[in-house]
Amino acid sequence: MSGVIEVEKLEKRYGLIQAVSGLSFQVQPGEVVGFLGPNGAGKSTTMRILAGSLGATAGVARVAGFDVFEAPEEAKLRLGYLPEVPPLYGEMTTRDYLAFAARVKGVRQPGEAVERVMGQVGVQSVSERLIGHLSKGYRQRVGLGQALVHDPEVLILDEPMSGLDPAQQAEIRGLIQSLAEGQRTIILSTHSLAQVEAICQRAIIINAGQIVADLPLDKADLASGTVNVHVERLETTLIEGLKALDGVSDVRTAGENRLKVEVCRDVRGAIATVAAPYGLLELAGRERLESIYLKVTSGRTVGEA
Amino acid sequence: MRNAWYIAAREFRATVSSPMGWGVLAAFLMVTGFFFAAMVGFYVEETASMGMNPYVDQPFDLNEYLVAPFFSNTALILLFLCPALSMRLFAEDRKTQSLELLLTAPVRTSDIVLGKYLGGMGFVLLVLLCTAHYPLVLFIYGSPDLSVVLSGYMATILLTGSFMALGTLASACTESQVLAMIASFAALLVIWVASWAEPSSGGAWWAAVLAHLSLLNHFDQMTKGIIRLEDLVYYLSFIGFFLFATWQRVEAFRWR
Repeated sequence: MSGVIEVEKLEKRYGLIQAVSGLSFQVQPGEVVGFLGPNGAGKSTTMRILAGSLGATAGVARVAGFDVFEAPEEAKLRLGYLPEVPPLYGEMTTRDYLAFAARVKGVRQPGEAVERVMGQVGVQSVSERLIGHLSKGYRQRVGLGQALVHDPEVLILDEPMSGLDPAQQAEIRGLIQSLAEGQRTIILSTHSLAQVEAICQRAIIINAGQIVADLPLDKADLASGTVNVHVERLETTLIEGLKALDGVSDVRTAGENRLKVEVCRDVRGAIATVAAPYGLLELAGRERLESIYLKVTSGRTVGEA
Repeated sequence: MRNAWYIAAREFRATVSSPMGWGVLAAFLMVTGFFFAAMVGFYVEETASMGMNPYVDQPFDLNEYLVAPFFSNTALILLFLCPALSMRLFAEDRKTQSLELLLTAPVRTSDIVLGKYLGGMGFVLLVLLCTAHYPLVLFIYGSPDLSVVLSGYMATILLTGSFMALGTLASACTESQVLAMIASFAALLVIWVASWAEPSSGGAWWAAVLAHLSLLNHFDQMTKGIIRLEDLVYYLSFIGFFLFATWQRVEAFRWR
């Protein structure tokens, strides 16, 4: 038992409805885990239990070694939580709100913490504006700011990109990726498998309150995989350029302006750089996660990793 | 306790920056101003006509005829207005889901409840402070008893403290602010007039209990300048009971 998050046989019942039944998993320090599953699968319930805003019917949940039921304040000091609806006060300015969040989270120097976190989530330009007047993207950033203001070891993000336009989604995704680069443990739930593949090292798929798959998504996984590339103009120079890349074993055309690139490791970044001048429209890695997701959420259980 | 102050300060600022806060303050000052002016006019008229009566050798007592009724009227108006101030304390946060910030912060539930309550009470005290010019006028043109004025304010603060404590519980029980307001107003009204059952009950024990629970009975003595221990104990227990119930209610969010 050395995980920074430890969940053992967690159960949650709402009246007759069993929202979570016997969930057990561990998350190691620095790991970025994607929580996947259909609506009503128990993702948010599990996250709220870990964050301490909801009790559990049975089971154990620990954050950084502290039981969230026995020592909730210790656990909460080490955990930042962004619910699906960011917990904001519309009548406060961004700065005042973050300062308030810092104080109730026991930050010694709230002023410094607010400056740091505003830089981290990029809300300096709206620091004096009322939160009620901000766009959804900025509100999401401010929400992320309150989760980060006490510099927690563990970050739990419940659908941080839902309801955002694609540009805002990309911004928030970039932000989460930058947070993941530190030694921070992150659990995030989303419906976007592509985002999980882009950000996470591991995916836990939940269905009907139970874990139905627990898969590593490490880069080695991409060995001998296929990357689909869609560009505006398909030219031979592009094919040659891709073939010349280290890690690319073969490039085949697959329909109009589409290529299948066989790779032996993750070189999607390099492929994107080469393909960009040709009007890169789409770059998709494996379809592996999607097929597993569809299989396990349709009723069958895949062995846990 | 420090967290309770942070939460209280935020609540106070939220009320001050809300139209509801200013609406309540404006309505309160308008109605109390009207009552006060009418009462003073009536008092002056009656005193003038009594002055010509050879059988009355003493003028009307200012404390009895102006100060005590002023506090009674203020209390009645606050009975209507406090539910409008307390309704948002928890209900709004639950509706907008901003309560998650406090529930997932390393803050004790008791601090959340106390903070919300004190924030609401802070605004009530601001409202009461805005009535200070009424007794001031009396001090300029007459000589009311300072101790009666002070005990009147103490009674009003304790009474509104009770209103707000019950209102806080109502607000924690629902996501609908309107429902919280109606529920707390109805409950306060019943407790307010609980003593009315006594005369028609034929001295039944339950009527005596109800009379003792009445917010009104404990208030009247204090506005006359009589501070009794039982009244203080009553109000503090009332506030304590409803804050405790709110605490249990908020704890239940986590254990439902």
